[in-house]
Amino acid sequence: MSARAFTDRDIHLALDGELPEDERAAYQAWLEANPDMKARSQRYAADNSALRDVFAGVLDENIPSRLEAAINGEAPKRKEAPQRWRMAAAAALLVAGGLGGYFAGASVHGSDPDDDDRMAQLAIAAHQTFAADKNRPVEVDGSDQAYLTGWLSKRTGLKLVAPDLSNNGFKLLGGRLVPANGSTAALMLYADAEGNRISVYVTTEGTERSKGTVTLASGGPEAVYWQDKGYGCVIVGTLPAEQMGVVAKDAYKQLIAGAGMARS
Amino acid sequence: MRTSVMEEKKAAILQEIPRLRRYARALLRDRDAADDLVQDCLERALLRMDNWRTGENPRRWLFTIMHHLFIDQMRKVNRRGEATMLPLDAGEALATPAMQSESVASREIIDALQAISPDRRAALVMVAIEGFSYAEAAMMLGVPAGTLMSRIARGREELRGLLDDQARRRTIRIVEK
Repeated sequence: MSARAFTDRDIHLALDGELPEDERAAYQAWLEANPDMKARSQRYAADNSALRDVFAGVLDENIPSRLEAAINGEAPKRKEAPQRWRMAAAAALLVAGGLGGYFAGASVHGSDPDDDDRMAQLAIAAHQTFAADKNRPVEVDGSDQAYLTGWLSKRTGLKLVAPDLSNNGFKLLGGRLVPANGSTAALMLYADAEGNRISVYVTTEGTERSKGTVTLASGGPEAVYWQDKGYGCVIVGTLPAEQMGVVAKDAYKQLIAGAGMARS
Repeated sequence: MRTSVMEEKKAAILQEIPRLRRYARALLRDRDAADDLVQDCLERALLRMDNWRTGENPRRWLFTIMHHLFIDQMRKVNRRGEATMLPLDAGEALATPAMQSESVASREIIDALQAISPDRRAALVMVAIEGFSYAEAAMMLGVPAGTLMSRIARGREELRGLLDDQARRRTIRIVEK
């Protein structure tokens, strides 16, 4: 039996005891061969035990008498301010807004968390199709940026700018239109002096505010995405994780500034 | 319903309260608010006692009820808009640590957990803290297995991102001193 290809998804399966018994040895070998993935697995494992430790004490607390009474249908009067937990729920949203700063892509508008996955997958597919094309990766080249962004803006319905990524060594090759999930996306391609290419994919998708990264295959391109009401953006490339993060943030900042979206 | 059966059911539910409280605490952080959610759940369970068959483990049944109460409310809060919904003392509650004797590290992870989206938080807590299988959690949350997996993966990534960010800001503060 040949081992299947593992991805970062398997880290979660393994951690949660959901990896089939007969795949565990191959998974372990894959971890050993991929230090990045092994490090990630260790970080998640540490977070898991920290989470369990933090809430373990709750099990040993005495049960409040009002809860015992509730079982017997003797619902006691609550303190004033009914439904405190509803306020706490609202407060949690406030924390989400204030806590993360840049990283608070923390989605506070919980809708379907699959949307961002789908967006990232489409962006990766577009990147793999077009960035790999040596001769004709773009429809409109980057020499006339005003024309390029005007055209992409008109077709996607977004106020687009082409981020200047020259600080990171990347130069705009140009752009093209690609399908999005039920709409149209703009794909802008960049290349550095060594021939590495990255894609910036922008679409009107997104009701949930979130941020994340997606890698579909080990060693395959990484997608870093942000999503906010009616604005989705994915940066795809095969760069070291650190560099990828820096380039992606730079691009995203310029995109939202260009779109006139203030973001605290 | 015969009285003895009812008593058996109540005793079985009583056994589950510590687990329900832990789940609620992880979802909401604030102790009193979490216990209010558990109380709402128990009251609703009592009204629907007939839906639960004797001999069946009450845990999944109760977790399902509580999760629905939680997620319905989060959706309502979202629709109304977070700012207008926020009563004054919710802000005050924020300033007061919900748990005494929290270390910096545990406060950070609790804060980060509160900051990830409610759907992802619920999925992650059910699996990582409560130890349910993916199949069980997907059933209780009422989502397909693929969606559950996605929520877990995204939830963990988001949590780690927030913790990294906190650590970075802490480093900056130390350097500035």
